[in-house]
Amino acid sequence: MLDQFATPEPDEAVKLALRRIEESTARGEGSDVEGLAFNEVVVNMGPQHPSTHGVLRLVVTLDGELVKDVIPVIGYLHRCKEKLAEKRTYFQYIPIVDRTEYVAGMNCEWGYVMTVEKLAGIRPTRRAEFIRVIMAELNRIASHQVAVGTFTADLAPLGTAMVFYMFRDREYILDLLEEVSGARMMFNYFRFGGLRYDLPDGWVEKCRGLMKRLPKLIDEYESLVQDNAIFLQRCVGKGVISQQDVIDYGITGPCARASGVAHDLRRTRPYSVYPELDFEVCTESHGDVFDRYQVRMQEMRESVKIIEQALDMLPKGPVQLGSLRAPYVITPPPGECYTGQENPRGEYGTYIVSDGSRYPYRLKFRDPCFCNLQLFPKLLSGNKIADAVAISGSVDLVLGGIDR
Amino acid sequence: MGLEIGTNPMDMDVIAARLAAEFAADLTDVRVQEPDTVVARCARAALKDVARRLKAHAEIGYETLNFVAGVDKVGHLESVYHVYSWKTNTYLELHVEVPKAKAEVDTVCDVWPAADWHERESWDMVGIRYLGHPDLRRILLKDDFVGHPLRKDYVDSAENHPHA
Repeated sequence: MLDQFATPEPDEAVKLALRRIEESTARGEGSDVEGLAFNEVVVNMGPQHPSTHGVLRLVVTLDGELVKDVIPVIGYLHRCKEKLAEKRTYFQYIPIVDRTEYVAGMNCEWGYVMTVEKLAGIRPTRRAEFIRVIMAELNRIASHQVAVGTFTADLAPLGTAMVFYMFRDREYILDLLEEVSGARMMFNYFRFGGLRYDLPDGWVEKCRGLMKRLPKLIDEYESLVQDNAIFLQRCVGKGVISQQDVIDYGITGPCARASGVAHDLRRTRPYSVYPELDFEVCTESHGDVFDRYQVRMQEMRESVKIIEQALDMLPKGPVQLGSLRAPYVITPPPGECYTGQENPRGEYGTYIVSDGSRYPYRLKFRDPCFCNLQLFPKLLSGNKIADAVAISGSVDLVLGGIDR
Repeated sequence: MGLEIGTNPMDMDVIAARLAAEFAADLTDVRVQEPDTVVARCARAALKDVARRLKAHAEIGYETLNFVAGVDKVGHLESVYHVYSWKTNTYLELHVEVPKAKAEVDTVCDVWPAADWHERESWDMVGIRYLGHPDLRRILLKDDFVGHPLRKDYVDSAENHPHA
């Protein structure tokens, strides 16, 4: 019979953590307390832990309050997304893309659809391109609201006040997205060559109204935290990502931009109609937790600017290609294609190998969080455990994307 | 202050020609994939050496590894390395052919640290063994999972996941 009180056998990650402690003891870096071989403790943080925002598990080696070593364990949300692609047509796969990085569904869909379009040589209609920009930027704001909101909740001083402010306003955005696509998070809105529906009547005015209000709301968020001494103490100078880390580990998104690297695919590798739009790539110079927070706040403002411009420039016309009324069967020629798309968290790449059939032969997502998470052992080691929580919140991980 | 992007802009054809000339012994089939990627095949034995030289290249310098993808091409496996050059703001896609009978290739972890997890994923999913990798464990699937699901000949059965 199963003994439910028996100590479970440690898994590979815990064994690795214990092995590393033994190695460091053998090197003479062991305990300074007599009678103890070492004074380090291995603690499992997650997969069910309120501050990891999802099923991230960190096997943390602690020396008192100090983090000595971190081994991230992922895969708890693995849903075989890449395997599923083998048995689904290109069209059938669109709703599945939403579910990879579910906080920014519109952006993910765009990345996938854009890659297939490039592979099949389809050019979307001009009106569709502008609506895509609007949707992606709305979703970027909503995503940053989740990111900053939950991150500030991890830092005790504010409690959950910021979360409620941000989630309140995120509702306005989700309402807009729902009116357009019929769903709040799993949109299934993008189509090859265009979009599923045109904008409903009166939507543009509603969106404009929200864009007028949003900058004031963002000011309100900032007034809540920016001058809070405890907030600053916990953020400034903590968890610094250097530019060398950005190069070595392929860090992208706000994490890279906070370190002064102006890497933004909307500018460095412009796609869609972004070259026609005027916006700034927000960068900071220190690469610490506070700078990552600031980059996100600025990006929300820039997104508002982009949406306002796109609404002004929105051309008339169809949102779906006439020749592709029923784009259910698409057969791109054999070949392979990679496209990166600037997701709220960084470069969301889709790599597709086509063999000329209706199904993608091999599909791979290059997820920004997967790459950013890889830096964790280096980023968290040497910090206090409480700061480790703040730092991991500031990197903004979405486990759906990491585990796929 | 910042890390500059695109300080040494070069034409795609020029980059492809330079790579083909400078790595004539190891890189074959060098071609340009519009708009910004050079695609090349690399000999398996030379991979690590080529990776080092590509990273250290003075004018192009592929310094960042974007991702590694394992692909099952039925006859053989392929390890695809997607690397980024900050100086020219372009990509390079390196295809390394790996025979199925001996699915092994040198790790590039020590050249591009980012390769660590991507190689683990490729091992997990496609079953390419990266020689010299410091910690080649499964990453997305459980430790006791049997088989490599993104192989085209993979057949799923209950025995493959004992703790499901």
